[in-house]
Amino acid sequence: MILDIKGLNKSFKSPVKAEGLSGRVKSLIKGEYREIRAVRDLSLSVPRGEMLAFIGPNGAGKSTTIKLITGILYPDEGSISVLGMDPHRQRKALSLKIGTVFGQKSQLWYHLPASDSFSLLGSIYNMSAGETERRVAELKEIFELGDFLDQPVRKLSLGQRIRCEIAASLIHSPEILFLDEPSIGLDVVVKARIRDLIKRLNEESGITVFLTSHDAGDIEKLCRRVIVINEGTTVWDGSMKEMKYSLLNRRIIDVKLEEELNLDLPGVSILKNRPYSAKLEADLNRADMKEVMETLIRNNTIQDINVSPIPMEEVIAHIYEGRTAGEAAE
Amino acid sequence: MRGLIGKYIRFNLAAAMEYRVSFVIQVLGMALNNSAFIFFWLLLFDKVGDINGYGFTEVMLLWSLAAAGFGFNEVFLGNGRYLSRIIYQGELDVYLLQPVPLIPNILCSRMNVSGWGDLAYGIILFLLSQELTPLWIFLFAVSCVLAALLFSSINLFYHSLTFYMGNGENLASAAYNMVLTFATYPGTIFKGASTWIMHTLLPAALVIWIPTELILHFSLSRALFLLAGDGILVATAYLLFKGGLRRYASGNRMGTRL
Repeated sequence: MILDIKGLNKSFKSPVKAEGLSGRVKSLIKGEYREIRAVRDLSLSVPRGEMLAFIGPNGAGKSTTIKLITGILYPDEGSISVLGMDPHRQRKALSLKIGTVFGQKSQLWYHLPASDSFSLLGSIYNMSAGETERRVAELKEIFELGDFLDQPVRKLSLGQRIRCEIAASLIHSPEILFLDEPSIGLDVVVKARIRDLIKRLNEESGITVFLTSHDAGDIEKLCRRVIVINEGTTVWDGSMKEMKYSLLNRRIIDVKLEEELNLDLPGVSILKNRPYSAKLEADLNRADMKEVMETLIRNNTIQDINVSPIPMEEVIAHIYEGRTAGEAAE
Repeated sequence: MRGLIGKYIRFNLAAAMEYRVSFVIQVLGMALNNSAFIFFWLLLFDKVGDINGYGFTEVMLLWSLAAAGFGFNEVFLGNGRYLSRIIYQGELDVYLLQPVPLIPNILCSRMNVSGWGDLAYGIILFLLSQELTPLWIFLFAVSCVLAALLFSSINLFYHSLTFYMGNGENLASAAYNMVLTFATYPGTIFKGASTWIMHTLLPAALVIWIPTELILHFSLSRALFLLAGDGILVATAYLLFKGGLRRYASGNRMGTRL
């Protein structure tokens, strides 16, 4: 395993704001704190080359976990092994082997061209000028940075900046790439492009990718395995396929008709019914898809039909609400 | 690390050059601001002769060392004064993820342009107002570098309190400025408890007074005393910062590197 975490716990103390002037004065003398348990007894392991989505609602503990794994934060309890190293005892050695992109934080110098930041990062990672030059040329080609590499970072679009950020995190050819919300604020086209680049990178170099994102598309298109975390602990760990097709075993059927919908089958609920169109939801635990389609075609004159799995957002929302496969089936 | 520091200097200068007019105004403005004090001291010594053994030339030595040491710190170790902000805004993450010694990496990664004005002013004032013997020039150069190291240690010490007590930015900024201000007055005017404070909590004595005395009247025992004091200050700041790192809470605030 390239990453192995056992029984990880991390809490933060947050000051409780007292009300009124007297409360504020009292809190100056004796402040009250409340404990926030950001990560609770978390265990997970990741094999080499995995594309892992690590998802959860805001405040679930995703970023804290990444920061514990990368050695930024100290754990209260538990053990972390990344590439056989302890991130807190071997922070410098580990940082030569991992790359990190925090969507909200930049490692590029705002007033300088990205090429200068790359050169500086090359020095930070103890690379020779020739090595840095060769690696920048490779990344320039992969991420198509040619047109804007020499422009000051402040003049780049968000999409261009994120491409430069990811390239910067790969300058030292890391074995694991941690991406924390890399597509935050990007438009659909740029997101798709960045996803393709990450996928290509994983396929060509075998880099392990640990991704947190709120974007269902990122997760669905990129990752083979999903870990869902809520209130600092794992609530789901399985394959993307399993999550999509087994966890919530339902399909959405959009159908365009020449008349009113005529369908009454157990396990099929009508979500929307308009004069010439309808949206249905089939629960595959109760209804057979073949039978649903045959009945639909037999009873109706159909112009167009589209069958899709439950959108990823909804799958995640269901897990957040505490619904598991078993509960969903009941 | 040496190559990296050289690159930081080059790139920070290049970033400053993106705004050339602002660079020139800040450098000249700082040099002009410092020069105004020469007239104040000239007028004062014209009236009082000397202050506890310090005449105009000795005070100019204090000034040149304080300005050059402070300027050196601002130019080459300029990120120290922003350390509280870096801690409470969670910006330490970027530095913690890099495979180089943490404290030098943080301190060297930023240059405060106005520091060039202080540095140039301090050196020019020394060249114009002091005896230019090889020993004096050597002691002045060493003292400037040590003063910069101590200014950075003061920043490191006080800003590290942010790990323990929330935002310590104002306290740290006040301490840093007080040390600089006290350093430009003859140490001999301070008596009793204030002298102790100037050797410990606000170590203007270690930063400027004792090095000035050493340039004026060199003594090996005093030099060793100074180096021991410097060592204690640097080690205390380092330990406070290292201890604080365990309490670092990071954060998700948006941030860029300037």
